[in-house]
Amino acid sequence: MYPLFTTGTIDFNSNLLYALVIGALFGIVLERTGFGSSKHIAPIFYFRNLKVSQTIVSAIITCSTLIVISSYNGWVDYNQIFIPDTYVWPYLVGGVLFGAAMVMSGWCPGTAIVGFASGKIDAFVFMTGLLCGMYFYFDIYDQISDFANSGYLGRYTIDKLVGGDIYTSSYLITILLGAFLAIFMNVMKSIRDKKEKL
Amino acid sequence: MNQKDGYWHPLVSGVILGIVLFISFMVAGQGMGASGAFARVTAQLAYLYDSTFAQNSYAAKYLFNGNALSNWTVVETFGIFSGGYLSAMFAGRIKQSIDKGDDYPSYKRLIWAFLGGFIMAGATRLARGCTSGQALDGAATFSAGTWIFMLAAFGAGFVFAPLFKKQWKNIG
Repeated sequence: MYPLFTTGTIDFNSNLLYALVIGALFGIVLERTGFGSSKHIAPIFYFRNLKVSQTIVSAIITCSTLIVISSYNGWVDYNQIFIPDTYVWPYLVGGVLFGAAMVMSGWCPGTAIVGFASGKIDAFVFMTGLLCGMYFYFDIYDQISDFANSGYLGRYTIDKLVGGDIYTSSYLITILLGAFLAIFMNVMKSIRDKKEKL
Repeated sequence: MNQKDGYWHPLVSGVILGIVLFISFMVAGQGMGASGAFARVTAQLAYLYDSTFAQNSYAAKYLFNGNALSNWTVVETFGIFSGGYLSAMFAGRIKQSIDKGDDYPSYKRLIWAFLGGFIMAGATRLARGCTSGQALDGAATFSAGTWIFMLAAFGAGFVFAPLFKKQWKNIG
């Protein structure tokens, strides 16, 4: 029965060893896709490349489909998979700050590690900013903790929002993500065509 | 598998990434993350410097759970670094440089990189994760809350993009 760690099949230390391997695979995929350079990340916000959106969409569809298949066959206990609790207002404000910071810096925490490993000085500086920002957040936490914990909904999954079960959720996100990618590609193409005409 | 520019096709990468993420869920019961490692390491460093930091109301829960090196996300992040380094090395892509648009001054680029990191730190704490630990993991496991974060982040990226146009001139 999976997950191996939460069901007690492997112990704490083996889980950490696997964490190293899983992280390494993650790092390899990020580097091979081009996310070791912010030159391949920032252009998404100017409709200049598809790398970020295509990678995220196909990763989500692949993984969620595998989870649904495993859950259907009883291989995995979906309820034992960790999903961060939803806090509506902090997620909204955190998201806005995150997006602004991403186009400002050209990095996010995961890609910056790969950028740093590839010798990018801006990735190193970004990581320093992250550490300082974390300290700042810890420091002011008492003042903002009410807001940071507002709009609490617990383990809030799509089926709780729209009804149905995880199969409904799976259909829904697959269709919506597919539509999103198609629209994004069309917008990008029309912007490119316009530029070529000028 | 490689395209003309030497990278994998993003759709292929996405499928492989999805499989790796699935393995992570099957083994550890959680998906990959990155911002949590930075938070955890910052708390540890602050504690090493001054042990009264253990009373900090946010960081206390981290420090209570033992050393940072026994934290799943921290160990996994060392993995990200190693994998990224080996991959870049074999592809001949390790080079000391600053990613920026044509003619943009390096010092300005580094100021934005630092500020972006500083702002993003708090953003990940409010949102309980980043592009990996919140957006990717949450979406793949059918979290509804993740979409609040994802749409807000993506939308804000486009809204603020014109302010940073010069920084990313002629790239991508």
